[in-house]
This record gives sequence, C-alpha cells and structure tokens, in this order.
Amino acid sequence: MADPASSPGGSGAGGETPPVDVVSLTVNGRAIEAPKGTMLVDAAKAAGIEIPIFCYEPRLGAPIGACRMCLVEVEGMRGLQTACSTPVAPDMVVSTESELAKDAQDGVLELLLANHPLDCPVCDKGGECPLQDRTFRFGPGQTRTVEPKLHFPKPLDLSPLVALDRERCIACYRCVRFSQEVAEDGQLTFQERGDHVEIATFSGDPYEGRFTGNTIDLCPVGALTSNPYRFVSRPWDIKNTPSVCAGCSVGCNLEATERDNEVKRLTGRPEPNFAVEEGWICDRGRWGYPALRSDERITGPVLVDAVGRRTVLLDRAVNEAAGMLGRRELRVAVLLGEPITVEAGFLATEFATRAGNGEAMVRRMGIPGHGLDPLRALPGAQMDDLDRADAIVVLGGDPCAQQPVAELRLRKALRRGARVAMAGPRPTALDPSCQVTRTTPGHLQDALPIVAELIGAAERPIVMWDEADLAAEPDAAAALAALIEDHPATRAIELACDVSGPGLRALGVATAEDMLAALEAGEVDVLLTIQADPTTGPEGARWSRAIDGVPRIIEMSTYRSGVTDRADLVLPLLTALEDEGVLVSMTGRAQRLRPAARECADAASAWELLIALTHRLGRPVPDRTPAQAFSRLAAEHAAFAGLDYGELGTTGAVIAQGRGAGAGGPAARRNPAGDGLLVIPCRPVFGDATAHRSDALASVVEPTRVGLAPAEAERLGVRTEARVRITTPHGEAVLPLEVDSRLHEGAAYLFTGDPHAGAAALLPMDGGPVRAAVGVAQREQVEA
Amino acid sequence: MTVAELEEHLAPIRHEYADPRSLILPALRYVQGEAGWLPPHAMAAVAEATGFSQAYVESVATFYDRLYIDEVGRYCINVCVTLSCMLRGSDELFEHIADYLGLDGEGTTADGMFTLARVQCIGACDRAPCLQVDSGVQLGPLEPADATCLIDDLRAEPAPARYDR
Amino acid sequence: MPELNCVYRHREFGDHLTSLADYERAGGYLGLKETLALSPDDALYAFHRSGLRGRGGAGFPMGRKASFLPKDTGKPTYVVCNADESEPGTFKDREIIEHNPFQLIEGMTIASYAVGCERAYIYIRGEYEAQAQVLDAAIAEAREAGRLGPDALGPGRPFDITVYRGAGAYICGEETALLESLEGKRGQPRLKPPFPAVAGLYGCPTLINNVETLASLPPIMHRGPDWYAAMGNEKSPGTKLFSVSGHVLNPGNFEVVLGETTLRELIYDMAGGLRPGREVKAVWPGGSSVPVIGADSLDVALDYEALNGVGTFLGSGGCIVMDDSGCIVRASWRLAQFYRHESCGKCTPCREGTGWLANILGRMVHGEGRGEEDIRLLESLFGRIEGRTLCPLADGAVMPIQSALDLFRDEFIRVAHEGSSRPVPMTEAPVG
Ligand SMILES: Cc1cc2nc3c(=O)[nH]c(=O)nc-3n(C[C@H](O)[C@H](O)[C@H](O)COP(=O)(O)O)c2cc1C
Ligand code: SF4
Ligand code: FES
Repeated sequence: MADPASSPGGSGAGGETPPVDVVSLTVNGRAIEAPKGTMLVDAAKAAGIEIPIFCYEPRLGAPIGACRMCLVEVEGMRGLQTACSTPVAPDMVVSTESELAKDAQDGVLELLLANHPLDCPVCDKGGECPLQDRTFRFGPGQTRTVEPKLHFPKPLDLSPLVALDRERCIACYRCVRFSQEVAEDGQLTFQERGDHVEIATFSGDPYEGRFTGNTIDLCPVGALTSNPYRFVSRPWDIKNTPSVCAGCSVGCNLEATERDNEVKRLTGRPEPNFAVEEGWICDRGRWGYPALRSDERITGPVLVDAVGRRTVLLDRAVNEAAGMLGRRELRVAVLLGEPITVEAGFLATEFATRAGNGEAMVRRMGIPGHGLDPLRALPGAQMDDLDRADAIVVLGGDPCAQQPVAELRLRKALRRGARVAMAGPRPTALDPSCQVTRTTPGHLQDALPIVAELIGAAERPIVMWDEADLAAEPDAAAALAALIEDHPATRAIELACDVSGPGLRALGVATAEDMLAALEAGEVDVLLTIQADPTTGPEGARWSRAIDGVPRIIEMSTYRSGVTDRADLVLPLLTALEDEGVLVSMTGRAQRLRPAARECADAASAWELLIALTHRLGRPVPDRTPAQAFSRLAAEHAAFAGLDYGELGTTGAVIAQGRGAGAGGPAARRNPAGDGLLVIPCRPVFGDATAHRSDALASVVEPTRVGLAPAEAERLGVRTEARVRITTPHGEAVLPLEVDSRLHEGAAYLFTGDPHAGAAALLPMDGGPVRAAVGVAQREQVEA
Repeated sequence: MTVAELEEHLAPIRHEYADPRSLILPALRYVQGEAGWLPPHAMAAVAEATGFSQAYVESVATFYDRLYIDEVGRYCINVCVTLSCMLRGSDELFEHIADYLGLDGEGTTADGMFTLARVQCIGACDRAPCLQVDSGVQLGPLEPADATCLIDDLRAEPAPARYDR
Repeated sequence: MPELNCVYRHREFGDHLTSLADYERAGGYLGLKETLALSPDDALYAFHRSGLRGRGGAGFPMGRKASFLPKDTGKPTYVVCNADESEPGTFKDREIIEHNPFQLIEGMTIASYAVGCERAYIYIRGEYEAQAQVLDAAIAEAREAGRLGPDALGPGRPFDITVYRGAGAYICGEETALLESLEGKRGQPRLKPPFPAVAGLYGCPTLINNVETLASLPPIMHRGPDWYAAMGNEKSPGTKLFSVSGHVLNPGNFEVVLGETTLRELIYDMAGGLRPGREVKAVWPGGSSVPVIGADSLDVALDYEALNGVGTFLGSGGCIVMDDSGCIVRASWRLAQFYRHESCGKCTPCREGTGWLANILGRMVHGEGRGEEDIRLLESLFGRIEGRTLCPLADGAVMPIQSALDLFRDEFIRVAHEGSSRPVPMTEAPVG
C-alpha cells in the first residue's frame, strides 16, 4: 500500500509553496481579488471579464505589449494601460468598458484590419479565428480605409507542414517568440520593419524542427496554417475532443478534430495541462494521425480456418475467438503491447481467469526492470516541477528524441538559470546549451559523481532517468537510488520507454521473458496478442520461431504485424484516438482518452472485445464501460486507490507510486560476450512506427539506421557505404548508415522504429547489453 | 570572407561586450564593407562567428536601412528627402540625379555603378539639400550641377578596396 | 542675444579641438579633475544642483535620472551616450563630435565616475561614419594618454569607451530601442517599466544621455553647478544648442542661454532670416516630432516652459522653419512618410497608423482627397494612435500633423479638395 504522502503531486520537488498575497481591486465596478503579481488581464479573466488580447501569451515569456489590444483605463494612471503587462495593485480601479477603453479596442482592431485581406471565407482559420471573434465582439462595424492594402507574395510553404500567408499576419510575435524563446530553434524571425515586417526564415529556407506546429496553434489569425489540414474542413463541420497523445510516455494532452468520422487534425489544448505538456506538442504527435488511414491498417476481422482465409463480421469473429479459447484444458497466454489502456489491461487479467484453464498468463512487452524497483520507489515529480527545480540531471536516454516535449521544459529551466546536466552515451539536442557528460557505452555509473554534485548543491533537484538504460545497468540503478535517497529533496522522473508500461506495471502485469520461454517449451495452446508484435521487438527472431510452434493464435491489432499472417483470427482494434480509457504517463498521471472519431467501422476497442469475450465464455465481467472497469480496478489496485474516472476530468490525476512488477532482466552488471561494438539502442519518436505510417510526416521521419563515429566507420571500412549489415546474437539486419562525429567510437547506435526494418529485433529480450558486428552489406542483401 | 577572417576581426573587440550578440552588428558592417552587401553566405559567416542562428542574423540585418541583403551598386547615392531638405529642393535634386543616371526613380544603374535611394534625414539639414555617398561625409548644399560633377568623379575613380557602408 | 560657447567650446578656439593637447590647452579635463576630488555621491549631487536637463528630447533632469541607478546590485553599471541624432532638423550633436569630441569623452568619464561605470558606449547612427571615425581617433588618443584605460579614474580604476555604430534606423534613438540595438537585436523598443536605470544594457543599471547632455558636464563640474544653474531660468538653466534649418538664409547650430533668446531672434538674428519678401509660416522648434507653431508664436522665449506655453516642445532643439511659400499639407505628408518609414513595426497603432496617415495625406496632396471626410478621418485617427503605442515615436508622428491641421485647417480643407502643386524650392545657397 503506497503512502499517499509520497505520491508525486504537482507541486512536489521539495519546495513548499509560499503563501500568496492577495490583492483586492475593482474591475468594471466589481470587486475582485487576485494573487499579487498577476497581470490585470489574467485577474479579470479569472473573474469572468474578458479583456481582448493578441500578443499576450505567458508561456512565451514576459509580456511584450506589442499589439495594444488589451488597453484599459486605470484610475490615477495617465492614458491607457496594457492589461497584459500591468500587474494588479491594491485598490486599483480598472475599466475595460469605459468609452476610452472601448475606443481603444475598436481603434486597434480597425488598424489591425487596415492591411488585413479579410479573406475569411477562404481561410482555414475562419470560424475559429481570434481576430474574427474579437472583431465581432469588440471591433468596428466596418472599415473606413479606402487605401490599397499592402500586398505580399501569396501563401508559401514555410515547410511541408506549415503554410504562411503573410498578408494575414498581424505581427503579434507569437510564432517568432515560440521559435526563438521556447523551442530555441532560432529559425523563425521577423524581417524588415514598420508595416513591411514579415515572418521569415533564413533566405527562405524551410522551417525545420520538431515543434513547428505549435506556431499554428499560437497564431491568432490565419497566417500560419497546417498544410495537411489545408482546406480540409470548416469550423462548423467539425467536432473537437480533448484527448491524450499515445506517441510517447509523456502523455501530452491534445485536442482532436473530427469530421466525417475521421481525425482531421490534432492540436495542443486551448487550455493546456501545465502539469504535462503546457500546451506544446511535438510535430510527430501533431501529424501522426494520417497513420490511422495508412494501408497497414486492419480494416476487418479475418478468420483463417479449413475453408481458407476470409473476412468475417465482427460478431462472428468474437464468437470464433470464444470458441478457440473456451475449452477448459487450454493453456492461454495474453501478450499486451502498446498502447493499452489500464482498463484493457485490467480486463485482460479478468479475462485470464475465465479463458481456457482459468490461469492464462498475462504479460506485457516492454523493458524488464528488475533493478529499477528502488528508483521507482523514490518520490516522483510532475513535468511542471521542472519549472521550479534549481538543478536537473538527465541520466541516460535522450528525452529530446524519445520524450520530445520534455526538451522544451528543460530549455525553460535553462533560461531560468537552473543547472541542467545531460549524462549518457547519446548526443542530444540540448548538448550545446547544458553541462554534458558523455559516458562510455555501458558505464552510466561514471556519471554518478556529476549527479551527486548537482543534486548535492541544489535545493530542489530533479533526476530524470531513462528506463531502458538503467534497466540494462542495474548496478548504476542501485547506486543512483541510494544517491537520491541521501538527498531527500530530490525528486525523480522516469523517462519511460513505452506508453503502456507505467499503467500496466501499476496493475502488476509483468514483462514477457517467461512467456517466451513458455511458448518455446510448448506450454501454450492459444496465444492472444493485443497491440503486440513481438516478432519485430527484442529477440524478434526467437519470438517468431516460438510463435510458429503455438497451435492457435488470435491477434487483436490496429495495424498488420508480424503476427497477422500467422494468426487464425485477427480482430481489428481502434487506435488511441478512437478509443476510450485511461493511459498512465511516465510521471504517473492517469489521463483519459476520449474517442474523437471512429474511422474503421469494423474495428473495436480492446476493452470492448475483452468484455464481450467474457460474456461468450459464460463468465461475464460486470463492467460495460471503461468507467465501470476503472472503478473496479481502482478498488483492487492500490496504485489507483481513491481515483474516480469522472473526476480525472481533462487533466488527469496522479496515481500512487508503487513498486514495479518488474521481475526479470539482468540482476547484475553483465559484460556481453564477443568483441563487436556495444549496441546503444535509440528510440526516436520521430522514427517510430506511426511516423513511418503517416504520410504527413514524410519530410521529417527519422530513418531506422545504424549510427557510427567517423573513426569507427573508417576502421570497419564502411565509411562510404549507404547501408551496412549489423549482426547480433539475436539476428541480422541491413540498415542505412549514418556517420556522425558526435557518436562514440566502440559503439553501434541502433536507431529503431520502423517495424519492417528489423532493427529492434536485434536487441536482447531482457534489455541487457549486447554486441554487434557491423560490416559491408552485400549487394543482394540490399536488394532483398 | 571566411569565418576565420571574421573571427580574427572580431577577436580584439569581443571583450568589450558582455554578450556576443552585440558583435552581430559590427560583424555585419564589416562583412558588408568587404562584399558591398550581405549575400547569404556572408550572413551565415556572421551567424557562425557570433553563435546565433542565420535567420536571426538576417532578421537583424533587415531591420536597418543601411544593411543591404540585396546586391547594390558600387556606390550608393543616398539623397535625403526629409522636410528640411525637401524645403530646399531635394525632390528636384533626386530627380535630376535619376535622370542623369538614366534611372526611373530609385534603383541600380545597368552598369552596376550606382544605386540611387531616397533616404530619411541624415543629420545635415544645414547643408540641405544634401546627400551621402554610402556613409561618407554629408555633402551639401548641392545644386544639380554639383551632383552631376560628383557622379562623374565617382565614375572615374578606381573600384574601392573596401566599401564605406 | 548672448551666445555662450559652453558646449561648443571649440568655437572659441578656431573651431577645432580635435587633438587632446588642444583640448587640454582650452581648459579640457579640468571638470574631471574637480569631479575626481568629490565622492561619486557628491558628483551626482552636483549634477542635480546644476539643474541640467536631458538634451535628447524629453528634458528629464539629468541628475535625477542618474540617481535612479541602484547601487550594489552585484552587476556592472553602464553609461550609454545617445549619439543617434536622427530627429529630422537636428544636427547639433554632430558638431560636438566633429569639432569637440574630447568634451564628450570627458563628460562621459565624469558621469561614469559618478555612477560607477567601467565601460561606456557611444551609440552613433550608422550615417555618421565620418563622425564615428573622429570619435575613434579621439578615444585612441585619450587611451594613449591614459585618460581612458586601466587607470583612467585614478590608479587601478579603469574606464573605457566603445563606439558602437548603428546602421540606419531612427527608432534606435529611443533609449530602449537603442539598448536592444546595442545588444545586437532588432532595434525595437522595450516595454517599460523596467526603466533602463534599473534594467538597461544586458539587464544592468544603465544611464543613457544625449551627447549634448554629457558634453555639458565638463563646464558644469569645472565652473561649478551653481554657476551653471545661474544661467537661464530656474526650471530651464544652462545653455542649449539649436539647429536651425529649412527656409532660413543661414542654417546652422547656435548655442543660447535658455530663456534669454526668442525664437524670432534665433531665426532672424542668428540664422540669417528669410528670403526677402518671405514671412515665417510654420516652425517646428524642437525637431519634427513636436507640434508645429505659427508666425504668431515667434516671440516665445526659448526654454522648456515657454515653448510648452505656446503648445509645443523644446524637444531636441532641431528648429525647422518654413516660409509662406510652403504648403503645410505637403510638409505634413513628408513627415508622415518619415514616420511610416521609421516605425519599427512592433506595435499596432504605429505600424498601421503611420502608414494610413501618410496615405491619406498623400492622396490629398495629389488631388485625390475626399474633402471634409478625409479631414474627419485624419482627426479620428490621431486619437487612435496617440497615447496608445508602446513608445513615443507614434506620438511624435501625430503631434506635428495634428497641430498643423489645427493651425491651418482651411489650407487642409482646400488641399483635401484641390490637391497641392509642388512649390518652387528655396534655391538660394545658405550664406557663410
Ligand atoms: C522615437 C524617438 C527617437 C529619439 N531619438 C533620439 C536621438 O536621436 N538622440 C537622443 O539623444 N535622444 C533621442 N530620443 C530620446 C531618448 O529616448 C532618451 O530620452 C534620451 O536619449 C535621454 O537622454 P537625455 O536625458 O540626455 O535627453 C528619442 C526618443 C524617441 C521616442
Ligand atoms: S510606437 Fe512605433 S516605433 Fe514605437 S514601438 Fe510602436 S511601432 Fe515601434
Ligand atoms: S495583449 Fe497586451 S499588448 Fe498585446
């Protein structure tokens, strides 16, 4: 039973929140209160009074007072004040509706429209445009300008993803500030001055980055729009649903736009979840949705039997499944992949007691974490605690590539003056800006003195540790846990490797090494995979062989996998964007998915199918909905104690931390045999399966590949090769080669992701270290 | 202009600024002095030497009238047309020069010798109407004939080793 | 009308004090000597007692501004000299720099001693390259002589000056835009507060003063603040430089004791008056950003208060004179074009409003006006720009045009109906 006091609350990180002084003031004749330091515009908003704004956006830093939309009258102050940059003061008397204030609002809008094309009918933003809305609410009836408007060359592609229409730009600076001061990619700027200012990149280069889409969300007019969403729908044809991104373990909150039962767009939440993503999402998350319509999607149930291979109705398929699972003597195994909601996970365990002999084995794919229990027992933190930390150490992994939004939080910490150190074997996008300790592969332990130094000198330190790297080095994990325990103010964040892991672990679902052994030993009669393709994961070849020996296979999956062609029955699943239920993020935040669309009429949710199966098996579970399943699992599993599905709302709640059910994996440090290069697995989100399936991401998708230091490539004689052959004890693959001077010698960086490339299958099942031989790929192999 | 040369030029003044960003403007002025304008590779060199993004450097450059991201002639003839000069005939002076150079208003002559521009007050209203060749001494008061002579003289000069911009 | 060469000391010495030796022979560096005998706080107090007001345009008391700089912040303190001098009609600082650069250097040294600054900057407009070279040479000479460098303020007490060149942007004269530009950014004004005194260059306490303001310090410290305060009148003590240009026969710079000279004397006695047969029609007495006044205001005394009394400002002292051959709408249009060109583009009313003003006035001048409707539109636009922007540039754009419309309404209406043909420009070469 976890101690509720140790649960990682949103304001953890060791700091006590100081008492806030409250200021009383009057706005439009109403007495209101606001914490000291609040800007007038926010104080008014909290009291339900809207002061129109354009440039103000606190997430971009200090107010700049540029658009002048928020001018209000403050008694005793000369002229008008910008409410976005005027802090509340005791007994202030403010009017946002006086004649002068009204004239100012009217005037600014009139001036903003003076050079605006007013092409709302053909603008993607039309109908959901702050400029349009504010003009209706606060603006002039009509424009008095007879002057010709300024013209700029018509819309251009800022990148394959973002389109720019300069004529519509109102120079609010939001996108530029995002690029310069949040993403710090430095690429988007203003050029020229006066009424000629225009958004631009260097010499018209494309705007490249991993967060570029946020500029679209920020733009208050239709100047920046999404190319994949161009002319797709009008605001009155769409429905927006708040949901959660299942692209990585951060669990960014997002909003999904549906039209004609298809997801047409994903955006950051208009009301951000500050404890998670703060409203920023990465481009992989934003533009992954076309994968829903990729030709790898399974669109209907498939049955293979004596008659042959054929599509059947879903109902028939469920009956067939029940038939395959029903007999009492059957030994059943259930393998969970990702994404799996906690309800689906829970129902899988319920199902397990009802299928076959009633003792079905339920396991999850993912990293075994034998040595991680002590780390997982440490007090955790939420993402917004990073905003208060004075020192942050990242040990292992590469959050910039694997949990992208974390990069923005780390940059913010750096700007605040916090010390940030990155330690591990991989180069990261943050290296130029922070303290870097590049450890040799397999020696994370060497970075511990840095960790000790940083957290020792800090008042509110946070350690972010990578699940996979520390699982592979249990000795480092143990030492790190001990170190953190010595500094009780320290909070920890696990950089988890898969989306299902944290939730399923909290339900006690273990990883699958013993399942593989059982399959190999012929101890399984029926294998049910749910969103799991072990043939492309670690030791994929061994899984393949093992699965070939299983008499019956049922697959529930959204996309075709290595299992599909061997399955006797295939049941199509909905994606996370179409599904309902709870995902638990890497920081332990339970957040609700809400179905935004249903693109595939013949697909179902895993929870739905599992409930149906228990009915067909004659021992129905009492639940009919994820909400009901959630309340039962919350009653049964300590980690979820006290949580209520309804109360999770749109921002979620943090589960109590418990020990991971992480048995398995290397228990002690291990030196892999052989004399090849140590393999450093890299799992860039921009190179994952969804990124490969989404045509929108074609320009930014990261290839699955092998990375080598120049000297290493030279030594192996592959410097000029386009592709190389990489061989581990677990298999062989031919992959593109990337030579990068930031990489270590003596190591092969294995960038996984494309399920067809066979890269992840080269890794060991238990997450331990492995060596690889890298050499010239023969011509035939390249062609094969 | 290589990055190394630029860095060498900046080295003696680096210590004068608490933030290397302050070097962008001196660096831009320097490379413009070499090339006469700011071709993309020159701005890229400034970006590298100062440690800021190319886009940022270009954005700074475009803010200032006297930094040119498009190619200009060997000499920039900048005629002040603000109020004091206007009252004393700057429009007529400008038109005369344009005529003499065979230009239809502002622009660069076909032979690439001159770029003619109307500029705002150059701080020499006592010499109105006045003009500046690049950033040289403010010249005036100028009769149309004076301007003609000036242009003839400039045409006869050998190409400058560095541009005074 | 007395003309006292307090800032323009070179005028007493053959017009050139460009070598350190000459400058010292002319009494240079005696002000610094007196200053170094005082504590920094006493020096600050002396600035204050002198009553010296900022000469860049706003006229803020110099000593008071210097006293706003917080002490012991653990950060460096900076002094920045505003040599951007881009206000149309203003060219007074140019003469100090060209002919008397050491007085500016000494003035900056004095100010820096008082506020504890070790490195000061002169931000000079890019178009003053020839003048910047004079400064470079003078600074090198001062450094050579130990007047700048590691022991400038006494053994082990360093002080030095960097000349920073702008590259063509009027707005960089606005103090926060200047700081942005000096920091290597686009020269766009910052939101205030914080004021530069508290968070200026690189976020550090910063004193920004105009060239003339700083060059006034050496005589003040040499001859004493009370001597200075005794000149002129109580709220406007000391001497002030005026640049006179436009339709006068003898344009140039003139140093006058504040309050002792009238505008008429400045125009007629000092600047040579107008062409025969011409009369003053309009005067922008403090640079192009101040309200324009008419011939009936010529007897106003030249000081801050008296000029306020006739509805305008002393501003930078850039006095532009237009005689009755000129068209006020055309002049206003030309100024509107200036502000449109120079608007930095950061805030809406200025970015969009200055262009709109220029468009309307341009239409009027070219005979495409819409009569009274355009006049009403102009009038409502003034109110929608003025007082609503981030920095005062836009106010400076509106004031001369609004005042012109008030003063010459009939002419505006006429031009709004008929247009205005181009006048014959004044071609007489200035005398002297
Ligand atoms: C648009 C604008 C342009 C300005 N230009 C100049 C200038 O060229 N030179 C100057 O000294 N002050 C200029 N100022 C005034 C400065 O902002 C600032 O008040 C001055 O440098 C302070 O120095 P002082 O107190 O010595 O006058 C300008 C102000 C504005 C709003
Ligand atoms: S008033 Fe004009 S110059 Fe000043 S900040 Fe606004 S746009 Fe820039
Ligand atoms: S929101 Fe206040 S100035 Fe833009």
